[in-house]
Amino acid sequence: MAHYNQNITRRESIKKLLKLSGSLALSGSALLSIHNPRPVVAANTTEPFLVDALGKTPGYAIRDLVQKTFDAVGGIQTFIDRGDVVAVKPNISWARTPNLSATTHPEVLQAVIELCQEAGAKKVNIVDNTIHGARKCFAITGANAVAKKTGAKLVAPRSSLMRDMRIHGHRLDIWPVFTPVMEADKLINLPVAKVHGLSELTLGMKNWIGAVGGRRYALHQDIHQTIVDLAQFFQPTLTLIDAIRVMINNGPSGGSLADVALMNRLILSNDPVAADARAAGIFGYAPDDIGFIRLGKKWQLGLYDAEVPQQHEVTV
Amino acid sequence: MKSKHWVWIRRVSQAFFLCLFLFLLIESRLPQDIVVDYSQSLGNAGDLRIQKPIGFFFQLDPLVWLTTLLADHVWIQGFGWAIAILVITLLLGRVFCGFICPFGSLHHLISVIKSALKGKALFKANRKSGSQKIKYALLFTILLSAWLGLNIAGWMDPISFLFRSIALAVIPGLGNGLTEFFGMLARSDVKFLNYLSYGEVLVWPVFGYDFRAVQTGWFIGFLFLLVIFLNRIKPRFWCRTLCPLGALLGLLSGFSLLHLKKDNDKCTRCRQCVLTCQGAAEPMPEHNWQPAECLTCFNCTNTCPEDALSFTFKRPRKKQRLPDMGRRAVLSGLAAGASLPFLGSLDGNAHAIPPGELIRPPGSVPEKEFLSRCLRCGLCMKACPTNVINPTLAEAGLAGFWTPTLIMTQGYCEHTCTLCGSVCPTQAIADMTSAEKIQTPIRIGSAHFDRGRCLPWSGNGPCIVCEEHCPTSPKAIYFYEDSVVGPGGQMRRVKLPQVDLTRCTGCGICENKCPVRSKPAIRVISAGESRSPRNRILL
Repeated sequence: MAHYNQNITRRESIKKLLKLSGSLALSGSALLSIHNPRPVVAANTTEPFLVDALGKTPGYAIRDLVQKTFDAVGGIQTFIDRGDVVAVKPNISWARTPNLSATTHPEVLQAVIELCQEAGAKKVNIVDNTIHGARKCFAITGANAVAKKTGAKLVAPRSSLMRDMRIHGHRLDIWPVFTPVMEADKLINLPVAKVHGLSELTLGMKNWIGAVGGRRYALHQDIHQTIVDLAQFFQPTLTLIDAIRVMINNGPSGGSLADVALMNRLILSNDPVAADARAAGIFGYAPDDIGFIRLGKKWQLGLYDAEVPQQHEVTV
Repeated sequence: MKSKHWVWIRRVSQAFFLCLFLFLLIESRLPQDIVVDYSQSLGNAGDLRIQKPIGFFFQLDPLVWLTTLLADHVWIQGFGWAIAILVITLLLGRVFCGFICPFGSLHHLISVIKSALKGKALFKANRKSGSQKIKYALLFTILLSAWLGLNIAGWMDPISFLFRSIALAVIPGLGNGLTEFFGMLARSDVKFLNYLSYGEVLVWPVFGYDFRAVQTGWFIGFLFLLVIFLNRIKPRFWCRTLCPLGALLGLLSGFSLLHLKKDNDKCTRCRQCVLTCQGAAEPMPEHNWQPAECLTCFNCTNTCPEDALSFTFKRPRKKQRLPDMGRRAVLSGLAAGASLPFLGSLDGNAHAIPPGELIRPPGSVPEKEFLSRCLRCGLCMKACPTNVINPTLAEAGLAGFWTPTLIMTQGYCEHTCTLCGSVCPTQAIADMTSAEKIQTPIRIGSAHFDRGRCLPWSGNGPCIVCEEHCPTSPKAIYFYEDSVVGPGGQMRRVKLPQVDLTRCTGCGICENKCPVRSKPAIRVISAGESRSPRNRILL
């Protein structure tokens, strides 16, 4: 039975309608954008921006850095409306302590959730289909603590929350998607920057592998194209790449402090390709060096960082 | 205090201990709401532990204590409880069976609420019979076998039996059914049913969200149902006929000071005492009361309409001290106990070349000691967060049936996890910190590529999922880029993975995540495990 064409919620069905009429929606149909609770269209029509934040002062507060990063583009309330349901997609896939930076820094996660709540978000869900057991990951990465402190809901991945959807990618057609990622008005991608054996780097676009289920291990056979397929499907409102502590060796699992370098950077963009392109620079890569960034540009998912019209630098 | 009060105290005690047993069993898993405060120190995760005393019932079990002591000459912490039970038995008889044992309470409950027998048939079933000697034979088998180095107590020990049955058959079975059910609701076209599917958050704490798989699970469940069913033949069939712990306590209860006093003159032969007797201990005045069979349930004294029966404290007569075990039962038990360890050493792995598929949990003691210590209770399997630890079928030989083995296609040994060792009641798996596990490192085996299946090696395309998941730092799986012949003879540039045996710990996540599903292209075998000097690979 094909479940991907069953209507589950209004939000989802609208989303699906949009996906089915993909090119129409992407071309910026005003009519559809009114009904679309998540501004897939809006994200593409507003001018792309890029905020590159650096924590310079010794002992700076991560919360301040996150706050200033959003302030550079008018604060998070520019993107999050009162009453929104926000899904935050960190990378909490590995059962590793935060100092090993295999996962999104819990203080960054906490700061983003608190900003969303201050902007009037009705509900914030932390969503990730983890690689290691979810219970262990939630405990050890600090996600449980963040959820407890902020009151955000940490959604446990499970088979009943996976639903086959049409990805409409060049390589992926129907794939099980972790539905809490879709069931939100706004979606914030909150990856951690790391090196990766096959794709060289794991940044924002690759983080969407953690938003799907099914035979994920098979995606490696065409990793760059599948990353771009997923990135065009999910289209977050914002991407905030956590490059505070960066794994420079042994990625993406790491496991030793020797693998970690302190960069104290945050990169915020509404353009998934630009965010990744700038973050690639931290590792000394040009955007063209990384397959999925190159393909992202090729399929017009976004721009390289240097081409982004609105650029801000923030230091704390 | 009147007998009526004692019966009620017994019922409350039985209910309490049965509930406590189930509660601790359910809690035998990684807690779901561990909050690690990262703001103090970014790395302050420590070792995740189950805080509740989940090994309590095993520590309460004298059979576990005695067999571990006999088999491995080790005194394991916490077994003071078992000694306390022995002392109580010496003073008061089989109080453990009547008041505490959760398996006994379960049989009691089933025998009472749905009694298959009535009247004459029940009277006949509740008279002492020769079959009650079987349990002594089993006890001597277990004790002698343990003394000779093979500990098979866990197969028949009531606490281990009940724990294994519920943890590895009842809960995973129900859990899989519920997961299916909620999945069905979630996929339904009816919106109301979709909402109902969120009901799974209510059953999650007990059953988890994942489908579980348990090797030999059907057999564990079948035996459990069978033993429950036997209550239709005789009430508390297990306790009377099979339970080796009951036999051990029966041996001691001959010295008990608590004695059933019978008044022959008052007795009207109404048979009520026999009809309610739980242990077939012959409470009727004209029969010969058997203290070793009496479960001290106080039913006989409570039910007697003439007050012909009462419990008193007095020193027992000398000749009655040992229970009626029967010489043949004792001898056959001893014969079995003497032969099983030797047969087991032929079949098991104490002296044989270690089989590749037998992968013991991290920190397991060497195989010979393992077979003398492991209870096969299933606690490690219940606690394991990834479902990788399974009961063996034939991997460890018949002597090691139901001991733990890791099946990497079902799960993997999470690099930082040391939960199994922390819960093992007999320390067959060492309790260690995750720092010790990683830095030593504790190896449970080693991974090897099957290049004919491996996607890059066979020219079928890029992959290295194994390298991505490899948890050691630096990674035990590395790769180099080279050209391989692909389909149609075309050269393909791919990253070719290899295993560095000096770093591989055998955790098995590579095997678990390999896209070649049924028989992965990288597999873990026991070779290289640190517990066995004979099974090392490298010089």
